[in-house]
Amino acid sequence: MKTLQTLALALRTLWRNPLRTLLMMLGVAIGIASLTTMTSVGEATKQQTLREFKNMVGTFDVVNISPGGGRTRGMPSLTTVEPTLKFADAAAIAAELAGVRQVAEVQNAFDIDVKYRDNTTASAMYGISANWLEMHSYFVAAGNLISADDIQSLARVAVIGPDVSRELFPGEDPLGKQIRVGNVPFQVKGVLESRGAGPGGSSLDNIVFIPVTTASKRLFNRDYLTTITVQLDNPDEPDPVVADITALLRERHGIVPPGEDDFTINNPRAAALRVSNVRSTLSAVLAGTAGIATLIGGTVIMGLMLVAVSERRREIGVRRAVGATRGDVLSQFLIEAALVSALGGVIGIAIGVSAAVVVAVQRALPPVVLWQAVGGALLLSVAVGLVFGLQPAWKAARVDPIDALRS
Amino acid sequence: MIEAEHLEKTYQRGDGRSVTALHDVSFVIGDGEFVTVRGASGAGKSTLMNIIGCLDTPTSGVYRLAGEDVSHYSDQQRSRVRNQRIGFIFQSFNLLPRTTAEENVELPALYRGEAPDRGKATELLERVGLSDRADHFVSELSGGEQQRVAIARALMNDPPMLLADEPTGNLDSAAGNAIMDLLTDLHREGRTIVLVTHDEEVAAYAQRELLIRDGVIAADRARSPLRPVSEAG
Repeated sequence: MKTLQTLALALRTLWRNPLRTLLMMLGVAIGIASLTTMTSVGEATKQQTLREFKNMVGTFDVVNISPGGGRTRGMPSLTTVEPTLKFADAAAIAAELAGVRQVAEVQNAFDIDVKYRDNTTASAMYGISANWLEMHSYFVAAGNLISADDIQSLARVAVIGPDVSRELFPGEDPLGKQIRVGNVPFQVKGVLESRGAGPGGSSLDNIVFIPVTTASKRLFNRDYLTTITVQLDNPDEPDPVVADITALLRERHGIVPPGEDDFTINNPRAAALRVSNVRSTLSAVLAGTAGIATLIGGTVIMGLMLVAVSERRREIGVRRAVGATRGDVLSQFLIEAALVSALGGVIGIAIGVSAAVVVAVQRALPPVVLWQAVGGALLLSVAVGLVFGLQPAWKAARVDPIDALRS
Repeated sequence: MIEAEHLEKTYQRGDGRSVTALHDVSFVIGDGEFVTVRGASGAGKSTLMNIIGCLDTPTSGVYRLAGEDVSHYSDQQRSRVRNQRIGFIFQSFNLLPRTTAEENVELPALYRGEAPDRGKATELLERVGLSDRADHFVSELSGGEQQRVAIARALMNDPPMLLADEPTGNLDSAAGNAIMDLLTDLHREGRTIVLVTHDEEVAAYAQRELLIRDGVIAADRARSPLRPVSEAG
């Protein structure tokens, strides 16, 4: 008997026993549906996490150096960091190390009062070198960014985030206006485009940028940095550069073994991947559970097929009498099991993909469907049918036609 | 040509003793003969039928079909013999449920390994007078109609021999007579027919009778039909 005919026969048998077929498909369909949903939502969550990180950090091709040996909790700020990282360190890294594209300097603080006439708001304050904004993909909605000239001349200019603009200048054009930051007057030079929310959900737009030199000399009166941002030539291989930076800074800071580093180097992309991997481990566990559900679906198929073989002994006898070999009977039942399982799988994929899309829409995730996972799910369902169909099919093939035909 | 030489069949019972179902059975049935195998139940009819039908193998002895010794064929080889050389007709029809008349008739072709021939099944249903029932499910047919579907199925691969086991046992006399007339027609077309029965009246359609008793052939006799074969039509 040809495979195509066996397939047609199996399809007809399934079609003519709708209730049994439905029951057999149910377990596999549920398992595959959860498997498809889990993997798709898991992947979407991972991509979403990476995107949020990238949005917050602005770039993934950098490493950030912050002062202090231990990992400081939260974002470094002038009030919390040790005064070990100097402007000269940044210059040395830029001048001496290979694999470094450019170096940016940051001196930042949080909750600084910013005023315009009677309006006051508290925002994050970033003194930055001109290349920092460009490295982190900041764009102005109006006006201009901080320029190299501003850095050189210690200009008292500021670029403000949309939140600050809204708080201080309701219904007014902020460009050219004078704001006061800690009682030092700054002229608003530009208003940034909105970046929305970071991974924690807080706004990234409540921020003021000023030249790092101005911040150091005229605002904070501090000569150390909170962060040095080093842009790499090859962001995929940060380790050699990180090693070089470590060696250079230890030498510059006069640290000898066993003395520990008085700075910390962070790789935002590695951090983002760590976080997103924690989340995808969770979804892998859930997917494993869904896989087990699929196997339980397989045992349902096996049980119902075994019952079906007993009920269909006479049919088997008739087929054997008119010329079916044991192999014909075996493949008939095996293909029936594989087919019902595959159909359950297809239904499960349809439900799973729909559920993944619904979840994605509800939670504003990117609509990710992992087609490898869908293909894998389909293969899994066929395999489940074949494996769990083997015993019933074997039992069917062993039916003695003489016994089966005896009425 | 069916040749049986010294067929023996013994079964191993649960308690270890063996039971002889057939003992030294020999006969020859020529091509185109209409033979009944008659005997009381338990006499060995079924065992003999299973061996003639290649559903079972003898413990010893030789069974030849068209000169070919099939007595020690493998399961797969016997499947092929059943498929192509023997048409089975059962007392309880043994049609597949939830299946149409036509699909039942086509069944032997499915296992022949060739492309299904729709026309052949239609033609055979016409031959047994059921062309208007081709698409009916088996459950919608009367007993007589079901047996005619079974006969059409037996003819699907055009086997030289039909093996009928009490074909009228589940039918009323009118339907039974119609079936016997159909078998007689098929015999007159040149097919060998072996009919297993305990029914004297049914046996009367045949030219020859093998009487089996306690596992041995008690009588092998020619008989002239009790009633004239009704004219075809």
